Amino acid sequence: MTYEEFADTRLAPLLRYAVMLTGDPHQAQDLVQETMVRVQLNWRRVVRADSPERYVRRMLTNQYVDWKRGSWMRRVLLRGEPDESVPASADHAQSAVDRDQIWSWLSRLPRRQRATLVLRYYEDLPDAEIAEILGCAVGTVRSSISRALATLRAEYVEVRS
Amino acid sequence: MIEDDLRAAFARHEPLTPPTGPLRATIERLVARRRRRRRRFRAAGVTLCLVAALGAGVPQLRPERAVEVPSLSGLPADSPNGSLNVLLLGVDGLGGAPPYRLADSILLVHIPADRSRPYLISLPRDLEVSIPGRGTDKLNAAFFTGAGEPRPDLDAGYDLTRRVVADLIGVPVDAGAVLTFAGLRRITEAVDGVDVCLPDEVRSWHTRRVFPAGCQRLDGAASVDLLRQRRDLPAGALDRDRNAQRYVAGLIRRAAERDVLTNPVTLAALLSAAGRELTVDDEGLSLGRLVAVLPTLRSVDPVGLSLPVGAPAEGPSRLPLDPKDGPAFLAALREDRLAQWAAQHPEQVNRIR
Repeated sequence: MTYEEFADTRLAPLLRYAVMLTGDPHQAQDLVQETMVRVQLNWRRVVRADSPERYVRRMLTNQYVDWKRGSWMRRVLLRGEPDESVPASADHAQSAVDRDQIWSWLSRLPRRQRATLVLRYYEDLPDAEIAEILGCAVGTVRSSISRALATLRAEYVEVRS
Repeated sequence: MIEDDLRAAFARHEPLTPPTGPLRATIERLVARRRRRRRRFRAAGVTLCLVAALGAGVPQLRPERAVEVPSLSGLPADSPNGSLNVLLLGVDGLGGAPPYRLADSILLVHIPADRSRPYLISLPRDLEVSIPGRGTDKLNAAFFTGAGEPRPDLDAGYDLTRRVVADLIGVPVDAGAVLTFAGLRRITEAVDGVDVCLPDEVRSWHTRRVFPAGCQRLDGAASVDLLRQRRDLPAGALDRDRNAQRYVAGLIRRAAERDVLTNPVTLAALLSAAGRELTVDDEGLSLGRLVAVLPTLRSVDPVGLSLPVGAPAEGPSRLPLDPKDGPAFLAALREDRLAQWAAQHPEQVNRIR
C-alpha cells in the first residue's frame, strides 16, 4: 500500500474521528494534519505495522491525548473553546438544546475518557481494540468508559433536577 | 439511554467534518517543507549527536531564542525520568553504493537526568535479540533487515534498529544517527584528527598498519581503519566496541579543545563535512531540544560501559544477555542509576582515556 492509497481511503474517516475527539472542525483538521505529516514522513514504518490503519489511529489518538506536549496545541489554544464552535442546531425546540448539551459535556471530560467514548460509541470498536489504540489494559478502558458515563449521567441529573 | 444519546450526538455532528481536499494539499506542503528541513539537519544532526550530545559543554551554542522547553525536567516528553538516550550506529559498507549494510558499532549515549556526565554504552553487535519480521538474530542484522538490499536505506535501517534497541532496553530512544565509514572519515578530518588512547597494540587486518599502545593522533583514514579491526583483537567485536568508545571520547576532547562548537567557522566546516554520509533521526527529540541539554552537562568526560553479555549460546558468535548482570544493568539504565551501577561494577567500566 502506498501513502496515497492510504490517504485516498482513510483520510475522511480519520477526519470524522478527529471531529468526534475534539468537537471542533478546525482542531480536527490540525490534529489530522499533524498526524498525517508524520505518517507520510515515516510511511515505511507505518506500513510495516500489522494494520497501518490502526497504527495511524493510535498515533492520532496519542497526539490528541498528549496535547499539552504536541506542537499543534499552541495554535489550537488561540482558538475558542471547543463547544463554542458547535453550529446552531437546525431544530429550534428546547429538546434540541438539551440534546446538544451532551456534546458540550463531552468537552469537559478528560481527553482519554472522551477518546474511549468515541472509540466505543462512534467507531463501535471492541474493548480489546480500544485498549490497543490507547495502549492500556482492557480493564482500564472499561473503567474509564464507566467513569465517563457516570460523569455524563451526573450532568443529566443536575440539569433535570 | 445515555449511550443512545451519545451515539446520536456523534452521528448528528458528523456533518461538521470538513472536506479532505484542502487538508490533503496542506499535508503535502508541510511534508515537502519538513523533508527539506530534514535534509538540512542531516549533517548537523550527527555532528551534534556525536559531539554535542556527548557533551562538549558549550554555553554559546544555547539558542538565542528561547527553546520551547520550559525546564529540563519536562524533557523529553517520552522519557519517564528526564534522562536521554541517543543511539549512534556505525555501519559498514565500502564504496559509493554498497549492496548491503550491517550496523557493527551500536553505541547508546545515555545522559542522566542530573546531567552529571555522558555514559557510552556499547551494545554488542552479536547480541541475540528478537527482530520484528526476522525472528531471533544478532543485533547487527536489524540494520541489515531494515535497510534492505541491494540499495540499503539508512533511514529504514536505523528505524528498525531503534525499535529493537528500545525493546531491549525498555525505554524509548530519544534521538540518533547513522555514521558510515565515509562520514567517520570526514568528521575526523574536519577536526584535524582525533587522539585515541589504546591500552594495547592493534594491527590492522586490512592495511597492515600498526596502532601502538598509548595515545596517538589518527587521521580520517586511520580512524576508519582502527574502527574496522575485529579479527585480531583478543575479544573480537567487544574490543572493537571499546575502541569505538575510545574514538568517541577522543573526538569529544578534540572538539572541545578546538572550540569546534563555539566557533561558527569550524562548526560550519564540521557540519558540511558530515555530508550525506550521515543520516539522523530528528523525529523523536528535536535538535533544538538536544542542543539545549548540552550546556547543562556538568562533565564532558564520558564513562564507557558495555552491556553485560554471557557466554556464547547458539553457535560461536551469538551472545546472550548475561543472565544476572544483564537485567540488573538494564534496570539501572531504565531507572537512571548508572553511576551507582558503575561504582558497584568497576570491572565493567572500560578504560577509554
